[in-house]
Amino acid sequence: MTSERAQNPSSNEVSQTGFPGEQQSLRLRGVSSGASDQNYPQFNWRSTSEEEEEEEDEDEDENCEETREIRSRPMHMALKRAVRQVQEMQVPVVSSGKSWKWRHAKSLRKLKNNSREFLYFFVLWRKSLQKIGGNFGGGVQSYFLFLRFLVVLNFFSFLLIAGFVLIPSIVFRSVGSSTGYSGFVGSQCMKYDPNPQGLIVFYKYFLDLLSGTGFMEYSYLFYGFYNNTMVESGNFSYNIPLAYLGTAAFYFAFCLICMIARMGSAFRVTVATGGSTVGNYSMMVFTGWDYSCLGDQATKLKQKNINYQLQVDLEEQRLKRRAAELTLGQKVLLYSLRVLMGVLSLALIFAAFYGIALATDFSQQKSGQEGILGLIFEYLPSIAITAGNFVVPLLCDQIALVEKYPPSNTVIVALLRSVFLRLMSLGILLYTLWSQITCEGDTDSAACKLCYYNHGDYPCWETRVGQEMYKLTLFDFLIHFAVLILVEFPRRMVVDNSSSKLAQWVGRQEFVVPSNVLVLVYGQTVVWAGALFCPLLPLINTVKFVFLFYFKKITLFYNCRPALKTFRSTKSNFFFLLVLLLGWGLALVVMIYSLSEIHPSFGCGPFRLFSSMWSVFPASFYSLPQTSQEFLFFIGSQAFLTPLFVLFIVGMCYFIALASVYGKSVALLREQQKREVRDKQFLVKQIEELKKLHPPIDNAAVYES
Amino acid sequence: MGNKQTIFTDEQLDAYQDCTFFTRKEILRLHARYHELAPHLVPMDYTNDPECKLPLALIVNMPELNENPFRSRIVESFSEDGMGNLSFNEFVDMFSVLSEMAPRELKAIYAFKIYDFNVDNYLCKEDLEKTLNKLTKEELTPEEVELVCEKTIEEADLDGDHKLSFADFENMISRAPDFLSTFHIRI
Repeated sequence: MTSERAQNPSSNEVSQTGFPGEQQSLRLRGVSSGASDQNYPQFNWRSTSEEEEEEEDEDEDENCEETREIRSRPMHMALKRAVRQVQEMQVPVVSSGKSWKWRHAKSLRKLKNNSREFLYFFVLWRKSLQKIGGNFGGGVQSYFLFLRFLVVLNFFSFLLIAGFVLIPSIVFRSVGSSTGYSGFVGSQCMKYDPNPQGLIVFYKYFLDLLSGTGFMEYSYLFYGFYNNTMVESGNFSYNIPLAYLGTAAFYFAFCLICMIARMGSAFRVTVATGGSTVGNYSMMVFTGWDYSCLGDQATKLKQKNINYQLQVDLEEQRLKRRAAELTLGQKVLLYSLRVLMGVLSLALIFAAFYGIALATDFSQQKSGQEGILGLIFEYLPSIAITAGNFVVPLLCDQIALVEKYPPSNTVIVALLRSVFLRLMSLGILLYTLWSQITCEGDTDSAACKLCYYNHGDYPCWETRVGQEMYKLTLFDFLIHFAVLILVEFPRRMVVDNSSSKLAQWVGRQEFVVPSNVLVLVYGQTVVWAGALFCPLLPLINTVKFVFLFYFKKITLFYNCRPALKTFRSTKSNFFFLLVLLLGWGLALVVMIYSLSEIHPSFGCGPFRLFSSMWSVFPASFYSLPQTSQEFLFFIGSQAFLTPLFVLFIVGMCYFIALASVYGKSVALLREQQKREVRDKQFLVKQIEELKKLHPPIDNAAVYES
Repeated sequence: MGNKQTIFTDEQLDAYQDCTFFTRKEILRLHARYHELAPHLVPMDYTNDPECKLPLALIVNMPELNENPFRSRIVESFSEDGMGNLSFNEFVDMFSVLSEMAPRELKAIYAFKIYDFNVDNYLCKEDLEKTLNKLTKEELTPEEVELVCEKTIEEADLDGDHKLSFADFENMISRAPDFLSTFHIRI
């Protein structure tokens, strides 16, 4: 009966259920033959056998693609296996050369499968992440995925540094190669005595561990311990200063490549989906449910979540309508209020910066103090930064209540403010340090005249900068631990066990993803900024992040209730990496400036003989063989770089043009689709009208004949 | 690999590997999960392709599907008879489509089937209302449900027939960045 209908392209079809009409157009396209009422695109037996006959002369890769495509076909399993059997049986018909290629591709696929099974074991924390994702949703899971990425990045960075700087240094030191420096500048500059004399109180070791001074200062941890050994024995030569600088440069490049690779996959999804905000409701209805939700509580929560999202969207619609109805006077008032609040929040942020600068200054002045008070003075910058990063966002949240932005904008504005605060506070700390080390860049002032840096206060300034970064990292870790023990667990116990109204109002803690991610980004930026001065910092950071993973997991499962407002996980992945890239940029600026502008210490470190850290590159360049020098000169010359640059610009223009053409063609195709639909409706109307004009007698005649 | 297993022949495992997105180990693990749903019904020896179907009620008790509001529709969409009785083939098929390696187009086809409650090849208003009620556990007021369904159809309907055909659905899904990660069950 269906085939009859298919043969009569008359009016009855389209007005009934859409399927026959659809099949009609599919048949016209020649894809499916043979009618069936199956609800999905059919597999066409006849076309396969036709294809197989034609394929004898074509590339044999088609066969493998057919096989690969089988599992992407929406057929029942029994059907798929039958198809596969048919294809397997048809293989021996082809020539031997092509069958070798086919077998080669098949064994390649087997290899890929086996390697996938093997690598299955090496993925870190897979089960934990699964549990977290199922119980708390994609947003929280993306935080832990980000943390895992940072752990792996730091670990491989440490391996890099260990391999090229740490192990050679240990080897050369134990072998006892001479350091080969000769004092030529006044011995004033070279005075550096990190080992304190006299009796040391026992608890001083603990204080030293926390602040990186004393026994920790002259160790592999900091820059000052490494010598400028340049070993040349036989045909083996190793230049420690060059290795140190080269490793630092390569470490930055390696981190950049990892971040960009990860950003690329997140960005591809955003580009492919057009990044449009249209389709909010349909997306939420059809893609809102996370099928990997586990457990009763998680499901209830997910439902509450979706509820909340829908209500927020409906509320936003209502707000938009109300905002459009505001009178001019009210609008002016609202905008001026927003400007005022923006200025106020900026003022708060700058007040925090000033506080941090003061604290750093004070701490540096009192750096000789002993005992617990001395420890507190050492940690003053870290305390100031942490306090500022805690208090200012709270105040900004209150300000946001006055500003009355729509809910999605509030989140973005709060996030931008936090990012600015976090990264700039680190910048302020480094700037304050710099101004003290180099007497604010003025090499003619009394303290800095002799050695180009303040050798009185900073006999080994790189170690001091390294110590500051070390203290920041350590303090961050200790604060997390302290907050976990002293704030989060007690909060939960109080909320669970007391029934007072205050406790219920405060409620259990929420795991807020954005601020936690910013903490991670801040920690990683500190490590990047300090890696040049404290080579073991990536290792310390790896250990710190591993502990942090377990701390956060414990607090998530025991102390937190899942947040009602969730983050879109795909967009947020891209955003986290973008902020991380910003942090990387800041650290890069710091590193480049210290490499090129500040004179290395005379009394310590691998660069004590050079006028700047960068100058080790030209120095070792001239020790290369003549041909390499000429080759490198050629690459650096205009004759090579200018055509390369032009080629690069041309390539970029090509890709931009290609992308815009694709975008335009997608838009055109969408328009065409809409137009076709309207044409179809028009034709249907015409057919109906024609039917009315010709009386029904004709139809009966058609049926009889 | 070297392990001797007697559940499937090597050829069967190869066929499963080609027809799904799973590796050999994962297929064996799936068989173990299928078996533990009904240990007395499911044979341990599949070399002869036995005819064994598990009813809907057993399948939806799996922890992965237990709390999913669409569990019945999922199992029904993958069963050949449309009643939710799954043989091992269909069981593997279901988890293969819901795994993270299945392509977007394939998932979209099955997602459409799942949300099409009255199996008429269109997502009409009743289908949407049922979907929404299952999503929010009927916490929205009827006016809100009406509003959301209207807006959904308005946003996604391209051919103006006030219901969503597969083409409309697929068009809308292609613009959803989260679809691949949410339409995914780990097993």
